[in-house]
Amino acid sequence: MKAKIVVGAVVVVVGVLLAAMNFMESNVEYADFAAAEQSHKKVQVKGEWVKEEPTQFDVQRVKFTFFMKDESNRVVKVVLDGAKPNNFEIATSVVAKGKFVGGEFHASEVLTKCPSKYEGSPETVKKTL
Amino acid sequence: MVLMGTLGSILATVAFAAALAAAFLYYHTFLTPAERMLAAARICYQVATGSLVAVAAIFLYLILTHQFQYTYVWQYSSTDLSLPLLVSTFYAGQEGSFMLWALYTSFIGIFLMVYTSRRDYENATMSVYSLILSFLLLMLVVKNPFTMIWDSFPAELVKSGPIPPGFDNIVILDAARSIWAQFPTEGSGLNPLLQNYWMVIHPQILFSGFSAMAVPYTLAVAALMKRDYDSWIRIATPWAVFGSMVLGTGIIMGGYWAYETLGWGGFWGWDPVENSSLIPWLLCVASIHSALNQRKTGGFVRTNIVFSLLTFVTVLYSTFLTRSGILGDTSVHSFVDPGMWVYWLLLGCLGLFTLLGFGLLVFRLPEMPTAPAKHSYFSREFALFLGAFALSFVALFVMIGTSSPIITTILNGKASAVEISYYVRTNLPLGIIICLLSGIGQLLWWRRSQAETFVRSLTLPITLSLLTTAVVYGVLGSSEVLILLFTFCAAFSLVVNAKIGSEVFKGNPKFVGGSLAHVGIAVMCLGFVTSSRYDSTATLALERGTPVESMGYQLTYLGYEELDSERYAFNVQVRHGGVSKTVAPVMRFSKKDNSTMRHPDIINFLSRDFYVAPVSVESDADQPVSHTLNRGKSEQIGGVTVTFRDFEFPESERASMSEGKPFFIDADVRVQEAGRSDQLKLRMKNGPQGAEFLPATYTSKSGEQYVFVMTQMMPAQTDPSASAIAIDVVLPHDHSAHKKDDTLIIEASIKPMINLVWAGTVTLIVGFLLTIIRRIGEASRDGARLESGD
Repeated sequence: MKAKIVVGAVVVVVGVLLAAMNFMESNVEYADFAAAEQSHKKVQVKGEWVKEEPTQFDVQRVKFTFFMKDESNRVVKVVLDGAKPNNFEIATSVVAKGKFVGGEFHASEVLTKCPSKYEGSPETVKKTL
Repeated sequence: MVLMGTLGSILATVAFAAALAAAFLYYHTFLTPAERMLAAARICYQVATGSLVAVAAIFLYLILTHQFQYTYVWQYSSTDLSLPLLVSTFYAGQEGSFMLWALYTSFIGIFLMVYTSRRDYENATMSVYSLILSFLLLMLVVKNPFTMIWDSFPAELVKSGPIPPGFDNIVILDAARSIWAQFPTEGSGLNPLLQNYWMVIHPQILFSGFSAMAVPYTLAVAALMKRDYDSWIRIATPWAVFGSMVLGTGIIMGGYWAYETLGWGGFWGWDPVENSSLIPWLLCVASIHSALNQRKTGGFVRTNIVFSLLTFVTVLYSTFLTRSGILGDTSVHSFVDPGMWVYWLLLGCLGLFTLLGFGLLVFRLPEMPTAPAKHSYFSREFALFLGAFALSFVALFVMIGTSSPIITTILNGKASAVEISYYVRTNLPLGIIICLLSGIGQLLWWRRSQAETFVRSLTLPITLSLLTTAVVYGVLGSSEVLILLFTFCAAFSLVVNAKIGSEVFKGNPKFVGGSLAHVGIAVMCLGFVTSSRYDSTATLALERGTPVESMGYQLTYLGYEELDSERYAFNVQVRHGGVSKTVAPVMRFSKKDNSTMRHPDIINFLSRDFYVAPVSVESDADQPVSHTLNRGKSEQIGGVTVTFRDFEFPESERASMSEGKPFFIDADVRVQEAGRSDQLKLRMKNGPQGAEFLPATYTSKSGEQYVFVMTQMMPAQTDPSASAIAIDVVLPHDHSAHKKDDTLIIEASIKPMINLVWAGTVTLIVGFLLTIIRRIGEASRDGARLESGD
C-alpha cells in the first residue's frame, strides 16, 4: 500500500512538473518593443496599426509588412510571416507575436481585436430605426 | 407585444420559484418520506418545466414574428434570415443559450424523475437536480431575455413631446407626460460566421450534452445523501455514457464546423470554447472506466464519486471561464463582459455546487467503505485505474492551459494565453499511455489475465502495429519519436479492440459497445496524427490564369463569381494525377463594416483532403501602373482614356530657369470617360532639391479616384510631335471590382487520411449507443430486482 502511494505521488509530481515546465515555456509574455528588443525571446506586443505609414505585401515571399505603434508609443516596422490578417483594417488593436530582429519585429502571428460588431451598439440601433 | 415579454419574465420567475420549491419539497421528502409531499414536489418540478416551456415558446414567437422592440430579438436576428437560421437565433446570445441549457436540463429531469422513482432514488436525486435547474433559471431572472430595446438604449430611443405622425414603430411609454419611444424596424442581424446549417444543430447537441453532465453529479450527491455507495454506480452509468455520447458528438461537430466553414485550418484549435466542453467530457469518460472497476471489485468508491462530482463542477467552471468575460482579450473568440451580476452568479453557482458535492463527500468520508486493495498490477482493473487517471490528467492539463490567462494574471499581473504547443506537448505522452492501456486492458479482460496467453495474444497486434507505424513512417516520413510511438500505440489499440470486438460480437453482439468505442478512438487518434502532424501547408499567390505548382498539385485561379452583393466565390482549378477538380472558396466583403469573412473549400479524396482557404485578393489597384504616353495617342487606363497633348512651359518659367530660380513644366493631359472629360496638368517642379513630380487626381462620374503622376519627361527637340511622358497611375481602390490581373492569395493544405477522424467518430458514437442499451438493460434488471424485494 505504501509503495503504491509513493509511486503514485512520484507520477503525479512528475506530471505536474512536466505541465508546469511546458506551461512556462509556451506562455508568451507581453512586452513593449523596447523590452522585446532587450530579450531575445518570443514575446507578444500589443499596439495599433499606424495607418499613415505604408503597408506592403510581398506576394512571392508571402510576407506582410506594416508599421505598428506599441503602448509606449514607439513605432516599429513589423514583418509578418503570412498574408494580411483577418479584419486588419477594422481592428481597434493588434497583438503581434514574434521576435525583434535587427530593428524590425518579425511576427509569426498577428491577432486582430475587432470592435464586437454584433453586439448592439447605440450607433447600430439608430441605423435600424 | 410588451405584454408578451412581461408574461415571459413573470413565467421565468415562476419557473425559478417552482424549481426551488421542488428542491425543498424533495429534500423534505428525503428527510421524512410522505406521499403528499412527494406529489407536491413532483408537481412543482412539472410546473417549473411547463413554465419554462412557455417562456421558450413566447421567446421563439417574438423571434419568429420579428419583434424588434425586444433587445435580444433586435440584436441577433433580422428579417432576411431563413426559417431554420431564424429559429437558431434563439440561442445566438447569452440569455437565449442559458434558456436552451435550462430547457434541456428540465426535459432530462422528467426522464430522470421517472427513472429514479423506479429505483428508490427520486427524493435525493431530484432535490439536487431541481436545485441545479433553479440556478440555471435564476440566470434568466437576473439577465432578462425580454428586455425592451428602449430600456437598453434610452438615450437613443426615448423621446418626449408631441408624437410625429406617420410612424408605426412608436410606442407610448407615459401618456401623461407624453414620453414615447421609437423602436427599430429591422434587426442588426446574425453574425455571418454563424449563418450556417451547423448553427441549427450543433448548439442544441452541445447543450443537451451539458445538461446530461448534471446527472452523474446529481446521482453521486444523492448516493452520499443516502449513504449508498454501491448501487448508485449502476444507476448512474447509463447516464454517464449517454452524456459522453451526446457531448462527444457535439464537440466533434463543432470541430467539423470549424474545419469546414470557419476556415480555422483544422478541426481543433485548443480554443477556450472548445476546451471548455472537452474537460467535462474527459472526466465523464474517466468516470465510466473507473465505474467498471467498482462493479468488479467493489473498490474505488471514493474515486468514482470524485469523478462524477468533477464532471459537473468542470461544466460550471468552463461556463464561468467562457461566459464571465474573465478570459478577456486572450482568445480569438471575443468574450463579452456580461455584467457583474452574471459574473458573481456564475462564480456563486460554481462555489455552491463544488462545496455541496465535495463538502458532503468529506463529511461522509469516515464512514465510507475502503476497498480491499488486493488486485494485481497485472490486471484489467489496474489498467482501467491507470487509464482513468491518465484521462483525468489530460483534463487537468487542458484545464491549466485554458485557465492560463487567470494563472498569468496572478503570477505576472498581465493575462496571457499559452500557445497551442503546450497542449500538444503535455497531452501527447498521456495519449500514448491511454492508447496503450486501452489495448492492454481489453486483452487482459479477454484473456483473463493469464501471463502466458496474454503474451501470446500480443504477437499479432504488435506485428500489425509495427507494420502500420512503418507505413506511416515510410509514406509520410517523420522522425519524431513520440509521434511514431503514438501511432504505434493507437494502431495497437485498434488491432486489439477490433480482434476482441469481433470475438465478442460472435458471442453476444450487445456486449460489443466497449470494444467498438475503443476502435473508434484509436482510428481517430491515427487520423489526428496523419492529418495534423503530416499535413503540408503552403501560402500561394495565384495570378489569374497562371498555373502554379505546389505540393504535387497544379493550381490555377480561374476567376471569381459574384454570389450576392457581398459574397464572392473564387474558382480555383486543382489538378493532381490526371484528375481535375474545381474548388470555390468564398470571401464575404461586408459593406456594413468593411470586414472580410473567409470560407474554405475542400476536395475530399479518399486518402486525403485538399483544403483551400482564401486569404485575400490583391488587385493591382493599390500599386501604381506605369504607362508611356506618346503625344497625341490615346491610352486606355482603367476605366478612362488618357491622352498626352503637349508640354506647357510658360515664358515666365523659362525665364526663371535661365536665372537658376525654381520653375515648373506642366504636361497637359486629357482624361476622358463616357460623356465626360477633364484636363489635368501633371507638373514637374524644379527647385533647390531637384526635380519633383506632383500628383494630380481625376474623380470619375461614379466617384472613383485616379491619381496620376509624371515620372519622366521625354521631349523630342527636333520633332515636338514625337514627345512622350512616362506616368504612374494609381487606379481606384475597389474591393468588389476586381481587375483582370488580380492575384488570389490562398492557403492550401493537404490533410492526409482525415477521413479516419470522421470514421472513428461515427464508430465511437455507435459504440456508446450499444453500451447505453446494454447498461440500461442492466440497470432495469437491478430496478426490477429492487421492486420485487430481491
